[in-house]
Amino acid sequence: MYSLSSRLLISVSFLLLLFFGITIAVLNTAFTEAGEQARRDILDGHLVALLAAAEPDDNDELALPDRLREPRFGQIGSGLYGELRNESGEVIWRSQSALGLEIPEGVTPELGNHLFAREQLIDETPLLTLSLAVEWEFDDESSKSYVFKVAESLDSFNAQIAGFRGQLFGWFAAVAATMLLAFSFLLRGLMKPLRKIETEIGEIESGDRASLSNKFPTELTGVARNMNLLIDSERARSDRYRFTLDNLAHSLKTPLAAMRALLGDQQNANFGERFNEQIDRMDEIVRYQLRKPAASVADNLVLQSVNVDKEITRLIDGLKKVYHDKHPEFDVSVEPGMQFRGDTGDFLELAGNLLDNACKWCKKKVRISVVPSAGAKAIASGMVLCVADDGPGIPQDAADALLQRGMRLDESTPGHGIGLAVVKDIARSYGGQLSIKDSKLGGAEITVSIPPVTSAR
Amino acid sequence: MRLLVIEDDLTLRESLVRKLSDAGFAVEQAADGKEGLYFAEEYPIDLAIIDLGLPEVSGLEIIRKVRAEGKTYPILILTARDRWEDKVDGLSAGADDYVVKPFHFEEISARVNALLRRSGGWASSQLDAGPVSLDMSRQELKVSGEAIELTSFEYKIIEYLMVRAGKVISKSELTDRLYDQDFERDSNVIEVFIGRLRKKMDPDNTIKPIETLRGRGYRFALERNQSG
Repeated sequence: MYSLSSRLLISVSFLLLLFFGITIAVLNTAFTEAGEQARRDILDGHLVALLAAAEPDDNDELALPDRLREPRFGQIGSGLYGELRNESGEVIWRSQSALGLEIPEGVTPELGNHLFAREQLIDETPLLTLSLAVEWEFDDESSKSYVFKVAESLDSFNAQIAGFRGQLFGWFAAVAATMLLAFSFLLRGLMKPLRKIETEIGEIESGDRASLSNKFPTELTGVARNMNLLIDSERARSDRYRFTLDNLAHSLKTPLAAMRALLGDQQNANFGERFNEQIDRMDEIVRYQLRKPAASVADNLVLQSVNVDKEITRLIDGLKKVYHDKHPEFDVSVEPGMQFRGDTGDFLELAGNLLDNACKWCKKKVRISVVPSAGAKAIASGMVLCVADDGPGIPQDAADALLQRGMRLDESTPGHGIGLAVVKDIARSYGGQLSIKDSKLGGAEITVSIPPVTSAR
Repeated sequence: MRLLVIEDDLTLRESLVRKLSDAGFAVEQAADGKEGLYFAEEYPIDLAIIDLGLPEVSGLEIIRKVRAEGKTYPILILTARDRWEDKVDGLSAGADDYVVKPFHFEEISARVNALLRRSGGWASSQLDAGPVSLDMSRQELKVSGEAIELTSFEYKIIEYLMVRAGKVISKSELTDRLYDQDFERDSNVIEVFIGRLRKKMDPDNTIKPIETLRGRGYRFALERNQSG
């Protein structure tokens, strides 16, 4: 399962491991090196002390006194050992502390040189050794070579390092654990608003809440706001549907009642005609309700881009078939690349009804132009759709009545009123308007202006 | 003329078929898209009336397939869907006109006649050729302004020939298109009717409206006075 918290925790753990690993390695190396350097310095001191204590004996050999200033040379198994070998490698002196031990001879350094080495006793006790080869000049001006060697057991040093390491790991582990713990608490706090959104949406679903509250951190206010917009537009839409449905159902009741009444009055001379009238009425009601706008400005989030040129071409190709006999001349001007922000069906309904009416009423000419709203920069924002014909036109008072209620103007051309009423409804749902005036062609000119979609909110 | 009606609603289909038959058409009918598609592809048809919301194969699909096969007979859509989106879809698929349900039969018959006439290249329901004039909406034939009394079979033949003025129509095409399937297929019947028509329209044998092409069929021979 994909979870933000676990992802964060895992990556933070990796980061901690990496940083602490490097830190531990660096500290460990530094501490070990510093410790070893200190050991070497001490060993050097002991060597110098041995050199100072060495005196030639009666046999013209070097000798060291039984008691040295450093008491550890005198204590058995003290961990600090001294040794003197002659040219041929024979041990001519060994400190009392090394009693019963065999200090490995190791590599003999060049004359006059120091040599540090790591060696081992037979029992594998690690040693740090320092050897120095010297040329000793006696009083009779003869000289002999000797090798001084001091060795110190690293047992205690190693134990010290191990202790240090243990502490280092312990502390870092404790710090890492604390940090992770703190971090997961922090995360829990950070994720809380998300869980809150989830809970609130659940409450909206169950009807306990109308919209998301506004108490969210800055990063989430956008999400919450858009969510609220979506919820509002969905709610408005379902309200609209319910209203439409309600209207539809109720408005069908009257013609139904009339039909039932007619059935009880079949001797009526105009029975067929009256019955048909009621059917026409129901048909008109249903048509009008079915062609109501699919989208509205409130549905900003679900609007599509409609290719105006393509849809107009399709419409006109269709109308040319339907009005084949009348053969109207179409004069089409569409802004290149023009897009309409909305529902394709709604656009076709706007243009289709206007063009259909124009074809119905025209003598010969139908003109349609689609341009972006004046002043709008983007082509997709806003639209002015204008359809004109050279027919009889619509008288001003009739136009007013049409715009008011969408009533039928002329019973002999069915659907004119419905078409315009539908256009008006759609235009209004997109926040636009419908206007009717006299066209230069001689007939009516009907203009639908849809304002730009204000998406910045 | 042979029409095809594809409509799944029984009442609607039966009433349409009956009224179209009464109006003098030979009518095939199909109750679903599959059967309809079969008829539309395999039968000699002059016009199809297709409901868009059909079971099995949708009306739109039938129209597309029929057009893809290069069939050019007119198609009239019946639809309950009234939005322009649906109408435009149907028309761009290849239909020629639409009628929205519910409709009056007169609406259908007017559209059917207009489409048939149009497919023959005539611009109005009044077909004028020389002294002969045929009013399809009134089913009335006049020669030099005088109305000629015709039986319904005679009318059907002259209408079929005149709508296709200038084209040669074989006897078998005439029997196929003008009569329902179970009609006795005797080509002599056609000859008899043609003979009667000639006598009624042209008793003096001066205008010669119908030409016989031996072994091929008949042709309405007069020039059209106007064409669409």
